[in-house]
Amino acid sequence: MKPGNVIPAISALASLALFCGAAFAVVPSYPVLVPLTGFLSLEGTSQRNGAVMALEEDKSVAYGVYDTGTSPEVAVNAMERVAHEVHTAAIIGPILGTQMLAMLPLAAEYQIPLVTISGTAKLTEMGNPWIFRFFPGDAVTKVAHARYVVEELGRKRPAILYQTTAYGQSGRGHLETTFRSLGAVPAYQEGLDVSVKDMTPALSKAMAAKPDVLVLHMHSGPTALLIRQARTQGIDLPIVAGSAMHQPTTAGLLEPAELKDVCAETGSSPISGGSPEMERFTAEYRANFGSDPDAFALAQYDATRMLLVARHTGQVGGAPLRDWLASTEFKGLAMTYQSDGKGNMAHDAVIVCYDGKTRLPHIAKRYEGVDLGN
Amino acid sequence: MELLQLTINGVALGAAYALVALGFVLILNATGAVNFAQGDLVAAGGFLAVALAGLAPVPGILLLPLVAVLMAGVGLAVSAIAYWPLRDRPPVSVFISTIALGIIIQNGLNGLFGAEPRSAPPLFSGGYVEFFGLVVPHQSLAIMSIAALLVGGVHVLLTRTQLGRMLRATAQDREIAAALGVPVGAMVALTFSLAAALAGVAGLLLANQFFITPTHGTDFIVKAYIAVVIGGWGRVGGALAGAMLVALFETVVAAWADYAVATGLLYATMLAILVLRPQGLFGEAGGRRA
Repeated sequence: MKPGNVIPAISALASLALFCGAAFAVVPSYPVLVPLTGFLSLEGTSQRNGAVMALEEDKSVAYGVYDTGTSPEVAVNAMERVAHEVHTAAIIGPILGTQMLAMLPLAAEYQIPLVTISGTAKLTEMGNPWIFRFFPGDAVTKVAHARYVVEELGRKRPAILYQTTAYGQSGRGHLETTFRSLGAVPAYQEGLDVSVKDMTPALSKAMAAKPDVLVLHMHSGPTALLIRQARTQGIDLPIVAGSAMHQPTTAGLLEPAELKDVCAETGSSPISGGSPEMERFTAEYRANFGSDPDAFALAQYDATRMLLVARHTGQVGGAPLRDWLASTEFKGLAMTYQSDGKGNMAHDAVIVCYDGKTRLPHIAKRYEGVDLGN
Repeated sequence: MELLQLTINGVALGAAYALVALGFVLILNATGAVNFAQGDLVAAGGFLAVALAGLAPVPGILLLPLVAVLMAGVGLAVSAIAYWPLRDRPPVSVFISTIALGIIIQNGLNGLFGAEPRSAPPLFSGGYVEFFGLVVPHQSLAIMSIAALLVGGVHVLLTRTQLGRMLRATAQDREIAAALGVPVGAMVALTFSLAAALAGVAGLLLANQFFITPTHGTDFIVKAYIAVVIGGWGRVGGALAGAMLVALFETVVAAWADYAVATGLLYATMLAILVLRPQGLFGEAGGRRA
């Protein structure tokens, strides 16, 4: 080698070494975009806590937490911000369906997998291969909900009270369809706005239709309000509520006696225990966040852990990570997750019930692979 | 019997809405501006009661005076932040600043207490009384009693005391009142304090009966606004009547139709009143609307 070529060669080698060093030092990032303010902040906080717990356990990755509020614009802006960071491997997306719908085109454009626990059915019906949902949707939970009422409680005249939000109406549709398929015609149905304080009128009309069970699909506060007002009015029918009832904060609003004969559907119930791993998760969650975990926190924890397993097998983003998520079965704490080809990863649901003596629910029935024909 | 039960429920709910509407009207009269943070002050009062109950688990009746006093202090801060710097601007400036302050209060409560619904302690006990087939929770009776006492107290304050005369003079014409030696600034601050204290009491009462979250303030201010529009802009009596009407739509009418129809009928009634009697059922106290 001519002397004149030595210096450029050394320089090139040094640059290559520096580049490789930098490349090896790359730490993949998993931004957490969740609603921490607004009407879904309770669920968003659970999402954040579950994701952060998994990311902190791993310690080998980077992450930031971004509040998406309640508007799609804020969520899209947050996604634009993190998507342009070169080390973003996957994004933990908000539970709010309207935000996720706005983020989906960006996920495809930037080729970044979106991992969420949003229940909005449409998310996985749009043919977008970048979405992965780790919480059972209405096609799972509402089927389990209705089946428990009919098959386990033997009730055939449900009164369905639901919220007039998109969440409430979607659930009501699945409930009605499933009830009818099981030969149980709803005796009464009514939608309630989330701002309704006195639910006595709805209860009076429902009771006039002579139902044999009250079936609720409502948000946390309204669920507790309705149960309290029903018990105050002396209505002692069994009540089978939606997943909001399983949240420890909802049960905390009611006296244990008011919870007698109350059940709820959900994806899981961490505080009900069931395995040493689940009990460890619950204890660590309480130690970290000073509150009880719910199914949303556990689902997001499982989802984030699956991303971290992917990272340790070399899948750190883009199409390889997407394909790995789409084709890999993952055993989480709540259930075993596997994509149905559309990004629906969760297919199990449980029914939890309260005994009227404590606010701790027990698992009354498990439904596995509900939307897979089981 | 069912109608009577629903009417009792409606009156109890209306009594709580009336406390929110009353504070709203007091500030409207004193400043000519709409305080859109009033609902969030109700939520703040509810969370204050929750926090105090955590420190000292006593019945709500013992917390009530403390909540009222502390919220009166919050009212002073609200007037200093959202009203005083903008007092010489058009009323819409205060309208906007109180919306901003309300959002700050919502997010502050969210940060401090979290988003989950909370329940404040009952005034006396969480039970209920039954007579002739009617079921009335103790808390509903307490809400009706406390609301009647406070509304009566505010009426006496405004009509039978020298302080009330100065408050009314400030509300009617600040410049003339100032020329006559009324400390207008102090009167406005006092009005904000009184309104916030009423909001705090409403918050404590509502937070037990109907739970409270950081975003509930929006519901309350909408109800208060409708009540004031129906009753008459700036009319204390009108606000009370409007609050009762709103609550009766939510209970009695909702038992006849469903909630969506009852809500639609409430807004249709409000529109009809605006068209046929724009000054509201009891007439307007002031001439300005925001």
